[in-house]
Amino acid sequence: MASVTYKNVVKKFGDQTIIKNLNIAVEDKEFLVLVGPSGCGKTTALRLLAGLEEITDGEIVIGDRVVNDVAPKERDIAMVFQSYALYPHLSVYDNMAFGLKLRKTPKDEIKRRVNEAAEVLGITDLLQRKPRQLSGGQRQRVAVGRAIVREPKVFLFDEPLSNLDAKLRVQMRAEISKLHQRLQTTFIYVTHDQTEAMTMATRIAVINKGNLQQLDTPQNLYDHPNNLFVAGFIGSPAMNFFPAKLAKNGEKMLVDAGDFKVQIPDSHSAPYKNMDGRSVIFGIRPENIHDPEFAPQNINGEKVPAKVDVTELMGNETLVYLVSGKNTFVGRVDPRSKLRINDSTQVVFDMDKFHIFDAGSEEAIR
Amino acid sequence: MEISKSSSRKAQWQKKSLPYLYLLPAFLIMGVITFYPLIYQVIISFTNFETQHLLLGLKSPELEFIGFKNYVDIFTAALPVENFNFFRVLEFNFWWALSNVMLHVPAGVLIATLLNTEGLWMKRIYRAVYILPVVVPPLVVATIWTNIFDERYGAMNQLLANISTYFGHVGPIYIRWFEDVKPPIPGFLPGAPLTLAYYAMMMANFWLGWPFMSVVATGALQSIPKDLYEAASIDGATGGQQFWNITVPLLRPAMIPAAVYGFTLSFNLFNFVFFMTGGGPARSTELLVTFAYNLVRNLRWYGVAAAFAVIIFAVAMVVFLITNRITRATQNYSEA
Ligand SMILES: Nc1ncnc2c1ncn2[C@@H]1O[C@H](COP(=O)(O)OP(=O)(O)OP(=O)(O)O)[C@@H](O)[C@H]1O
Ligand SMILES: [Mg+2]
Repeated sequence: MASVTYKNVVKKFGDQTIIKNLNIAVEDKEFLVLVGPSGCGKTTALRLLAGLEEITDGEIVIGDRVVNDVAPKERDIAMVFQSYALYPHLSVYDNMAFGLKLRKTPKDEIKRRVNEAAEVLGITDLLQRKPRQLSGGQRQRVAVGRAIVREPKVFLFDEPLSNLDAKLRVQMRAEISKLHQRLQTTFIYVTHDQTEAMTMATRIAVINKGNLQQLDTPQNLYDHPNNLFVAGFIGSPAMNFFPAKLAKNGEKMLVDAGDFKVQIPDSHSAPYKNMDGRSVIFGIRPENIHDPEFAPQNINGEKVPAKVDVTELMGNETLVYLVSGKNTFVGRVDPRSKLRINDSTQVVFDMDKFHIFDAGSEEAIR
Repeated sequence: MEISKSSSRKAQWQKKSLPYLYLLPAFLIMGVITFYPLIYQVIISFTNFETQHLLLGLKSPELEFIGFKNYVDIFTAALPVENFNFFRVLEFNFWWALSNVMLHVPAGVLIATLLNTEGLWMKRIYRAVYILPVVVPPLVVATIWTNIFDERYGAMNQLLANISTYFGHVGPIYIRWFEDVKPPIPGFLPGAPLTLAYYAMMMANFWLGWPFMSVVATGALQSIPKDLYEAASIDGATGGQQFWNITVPLLRPAMIPAAVYGFTLSFNLFNFVFFMTGGGPARSTELLVTFAYNLVRNLRWYGVAAAFAVIIFAVAMVVFLITNRITRATQNYSEA
């Protein structure tokens, strides 16, 4: 059981700075997911914590111990590699027992722990097999098993599900979540899959180009993204963005996107009062764009003229790809919608759920 | 219907026999240059074939078939050759091959592992330098080492003299590496005394042998995934434990065939032994092949030599079967 803290952590490879001043405080027993696009430094952040890479500057603290100069084996962590890194010459049992044997754990204690972990992961029948005789999903379980028998303070996962097929991924996602509840230990989990992040995390750290963009609960990240990157990264289909200008219209504030204008409801307009003429990015999520026929009555709806480009029927919802002037955007509308290709319509933007970002700094204005 | 069936059968027969047709020339050549001499040799191994029979061969009037006498003579050390005992030579030969491999493989692996260290400077230069002995002709190597072990002017005795000054010894050292018949460690190998010449040859052959093992190990090391070491270091393995628990077992599939190869190579290392010691002193470093050569070249006992060659063939066969077993057992040992 331990908290983990990155304090002003910097990592350079040669003269390339991969991580620039990373600050994350992970609480004890938390399931923190590091998410970000490929190459943003997630694995590097994890490897710094594991002690597999040396930290260039700053501090990493596990529990109340600064571990900058502590060898990996002394850090009391376990890591599940993306490649699983199972020892090919050892049986599943010996793979799991390896760390315990090195630590001179008594034989029957090793046996008890390995069997228990195998039970939890449903790999009891595979204990005598070699890794090459296992399927991808089974290898993944063994890799997790090798981590849990050690009973470490912190678990590190580096994209453990990326080699699995979609169905197995969903299943393992649930199992890892269950495991976290059962073990009551700190989990730090790296992925570039935002669905994984949203479904498993207690908090998510969004990283881009070696910088922490936002650290918050999945719901807060979704509802209140700090900046354009987070807004675009979290959510699928992604949030729609429109370059726009804020404009004053009497007492009201408008968002003028050129091809359409929408009014900001009074209840939300306070932050924008003095921003007449400011260049912004206006953002709205697909589910807050409605087919006029099925728009809820109790929202601050604003009509936007648009032409239907493509529709995708998903069964429980319909994705409508729309064009308004030079803007293209997506609406996630009621499945009963009768909008079809080339229809001209007036979709309804729910102006209680919009986002405005500064065009220059890309930070949210709210 | 009938016709098509028979014609298809004919086509099938042609298809089946075609590979044999292609193999025929190879069989013919093998027959002339391998099987014929082999059979000829087996036949004369039962005769008293000597120099005077060379002209007429098996048709020589006074050529006698003497049954298993040649074989019996070899096994019972009844040949009028000084210091010859077949079983001693056989034992020494096995020990020679085995002890070489037991030195070369670990040394090669160890050095390859050290040179594989990340961030080591000028790795490639070391690797290029240590591979050099492999391409030097054995005659040159043997000559160099014969000089090194020269009693009066050799570098080895001078080096020992220099070292021994630190232990209070004054004056030159004259160790007779290739002449001294007294084994420095008596009873080390029961039945076959290991003279100084053996140790000298071990040193020389070590210089020649480990680089090959090192090359094989270097190649195999590259194919061990780095994350295994990382996983092990998190699991708590020290550098040494990583070496024993990951490097060694994962090198095994590559090193065992190399060791088998090294064994057969040392087992029949004719030119090295021949040029350095000539099998001496007192035949203590004689290998089966050098002795066979002696029988033909110097003594010209073709009948005995043929019998001896048949025996070597049998021994080589056994060695081959055993090593082949070992190699095959490791073949499927590939990683995930
Ligand atoms: N040992 C290294 N030497 C030099 N550059 C490195 C090294 N390891 C990683 N990098 C660089 O650091 C950056 C971040 O790499 P990292 O592996 O942390 O990305 P990631 O976020 O895990 O990406 P992915 O989602 O693709 O796994 C990349 O640009 C990579 O090229
Ligand atoms: Mg990665």
